[in-house]
Amino acid sequence: MKLNIIKQRTLWWGVSVATIIIGFLAMLLSWQQFGAPLRPSLDFVGGTRLQLELVCARTESCDGPIDPAQVREILATEGLEGSSLQVVGDQQNALSIRTTTLDVEQREALLQTLEAELGDIDPTLIQIDTVGPTLGRQIFISGLTALGAAFLGIMLYLSFRFQTDYAAFAIIAILHDVLITLGFFAIMGLAFGVEADSLFIVALLTIAGFSVNDTVVIYDRVRETIRTNPGDHINDIIDAAVNQTLTRSINTTFTTVLSLVAIFLFGGETLKYFALALIVGFIAGAYSSIFVASTLLAFWRERTGNAYVKAAPPEDAEPPTDPSVPTI
Amino acid sequence: MARQRSLLLLVLILAIAAIITLINLPIRLGLDLQGGSQLTLQAQTTEAVPQITPDKLEAVRNVVERRVNALGVAESVVQTVGSNQLLVQLPGVSDPAQAERVLGGTAQLDFREQNPGTEEQLAIEFQVQQELLIEQAQLELAGDAADEDAIAANQAALERSRQAIAELFIRTELTGEKLSNAFAAPSQTGGGWEVGLEFNNQGAEEFAALTRNIAGTGRRLGIFLDNELVSGPIVDVRYAETGITGGIASISGNFVAETANDLALQLRSGALPVPVEILENRTVGATLGRDSIERSIIAGLSGLALVLVFMVLYYRLPGFVADIALVVYALLTLAVFALLEVTLTLPGIAGFILSIGMAVDANVLIFERTREELRTGKTLYRSVESGFYRAFSSILDSNVTTLIACAALFWLGTGLVKGFALTLAVGVGVSMFTALTCSRTLLLTVLSITPLRKPEYFCPNLSSSNPQAKATS
Repeated sequence: MKLNIIKQRTLWWGVSVATIIIGFLAMLLSWQQFGAPLRPSLDFVGGTRLQLELVCARTESCDGPIDPAQVREILATEGLEGSSLQVVGDQQNALSIRTTTLDVEQREALLQTLEAELGDIDPTLIQIDTVGPTLGRQIFISGLTALGAAFLGIMLYLSFRFQTDYAAFAIIAILHDVLITLGFFAIMGLAFGVEADSLFIVALLTIAGFSVNDTVVIYDRVRETIRTNPGDHINDIIDAAVNQTLTRSINTTFTTVLSLVAIFLFGGETLKYFALALIVGFIAGAYSSIFVASTLLAFWRERTGNAYVKAAPPEDAEPPTDPSVPTI
Repeated sequence: MARQRSLLLLVLILAIAAIITLINLPIRLGLDLQGGSQLTLQAQTTEAVPQITPDKLEAVRNVVERRVNALGVAESVVQTVGSNQLLVQLPGVSDPAQAERVLGGTAQLDFREQNPGTEEQLAIEFQVQQELLIEQAQLELAGDAADEDAIAANQAALERSRQAIAELFIRTELTGEKLSNAFAAPSQTGGGWEVGLEFNNQGAEEFAALTRNIAGTGRRLGIFLDNELVSGPIVDVRYAETGITGGIASISGNFVAETANDLALQLRSGALPVPVEILENRTVGATLGRDSIERSIIAGLSGLALVLVFMVLYYRLPGFVADIALVVYALLTLAVFALLEVTLTLPGIAGFILSIGMAVDANVLIFERTREELRTGKTLYRSVESGFYRAFSSILDSNVTTLIACAALFWLGTGLVKGFALTLAVGVGVSMFTALTCSRTLLLTVLSITPLRKPEYFCPNLSSSNPQAKATS
């Protein structure tokens, strides 16, 4: 298999731009609905989430599934009409309720009413998350700062290891991956109510750190090819480098995605969408390394009149020979 | 060859050491896995306390810690975060609502007067309390899960004893707000330490009245923090006429520097009514936590299995070698978690599973390079060597960028996020070692076994793409 990376670059770029535009549209739509580009979890806006399971659920002795209408009524009597509510669990005997931030007394009152109406709640299966609105902002800001710091750090490192234009296009590729993941989750939020929580920011950071790996592998090969074939046009060099490293770009992402698929399938509710975000971001990362970062670099070098690079003579490309090791 | 053999031995020893570590040193589990509550409290400023200084935050921490201890939760943690926040971890707490109520209140310090005729009763209650405290300390030292009921029963007895002592005293007007300072100082009368008290004007008058009442009677002055007696000095008979005047007093007794400081800190924290607000509450039931552990183990093992199978199918013999290195990697990483006392949270486990997938990346890079070298007609041995040599710079660069992201996460993130960053970073670090040293040594050892020295085991279809390769091997 040989890909015409450079020749078909308008196609590759088109796919990326179209995907990102669709994502932006979804984020705009989200903005209208939630006042944020993605459906925000209580980590960022504050609130209380209660997840509870009835005692009868584990012994399968419940009278039947929980009726959401009944729960909604209970919430209304507690003055919590705007809350969102989901009946979950295999037998529909578990509840997930998200309300505005409740203090201890309000929460206990709600739990007592729920117990009185629905039956006993298993205290060992309860999960309570309460985040004050001010803390939500704090989490959000520190998340964004971390993202910015990571971008800066990676940019500096790559400028130090490669040239500045390499680093700039690697950063564009990372931005590409982050935007695609954001767009994907904007759609997920609109269509399936998937929320972006603080783990989502962690996912974005991990994507930034990992997706640049493939780009680095290709750049490494570009640099090597320039050294060994100094007279070649940058387009040919990039074409060769990408094709030579294609299997490893795909396989490194594939092995990582394999372990993420395991988390997605078996890791439970908390980690499910975290794994999904990473899967989407990593696949976008492989795509952007192969098709975007490399072609942009070639395009830029051609435009700025640097298509032919005067390269340094090849450094010692051979491994040093260990005299104690016999050569076969 | 000798170098490889000793490296191989090193890897083997490390793997065995890791297994022994893991058996003897269990990895600590976060509250989301073992069940419990994690609360973030924020000290609020008031008119009287316009700014939370580190001193004041420390005083609030002291109050909160004392309350947490009164809850009787084993292995609880209270630590300060930033300039005005406290992080409280209550593993296995059975009633989070009670904990929140107790921790959320403002510290109440007040001075009380012992009721006449209760001297003997107080002495008995003191005795009882001492025994209970000793018992409690022993139970907590034993720290066995089976003793949870015993600890709870003892805790209840302690609570009753505190209540009984409190009933022997009568409240006065003198509260903590009228205490302007409390400090530990070396005793003026000789060795030992004492605790100095300073009241404001109104406090000074009330303190004089209180001490006049009880001076020389043998009845005690009860200093209560959150309704618990923290000190019960008697007042000397020489103050019987005027009481202790001037708003300055000192408590002496069997203090050493540490105990005097403790009491002064308790008094100061009571003198400083800083309300605390509960900003965040993350509570996970114990069974739910256990479910999460089970799920994570399934996810981890299946992730590992998928990667192992893929490597053998795709890379053949070197894939198998990489698999051994990967298992060694998993063992070493878990052992490092245990040794560094990393608290494993759910996101932390995700970081670890993810790092399994990333750990073989280095091997993928190396093996692809090896195949490429084989196709150019190099000998097997040199192909493997240059595979490792030439892939190194890519491996280094890609790991460093991941580490940069981890560092950003670790320094700027909050609790949950830190766990993920730390496990991923440890994983990346260990994988550099296993992918480079461990799999390289194993592969070179394999190459010394003649029947395995076939290029087809390293690169299928090689003979068709390059007939020379076989001839040269």
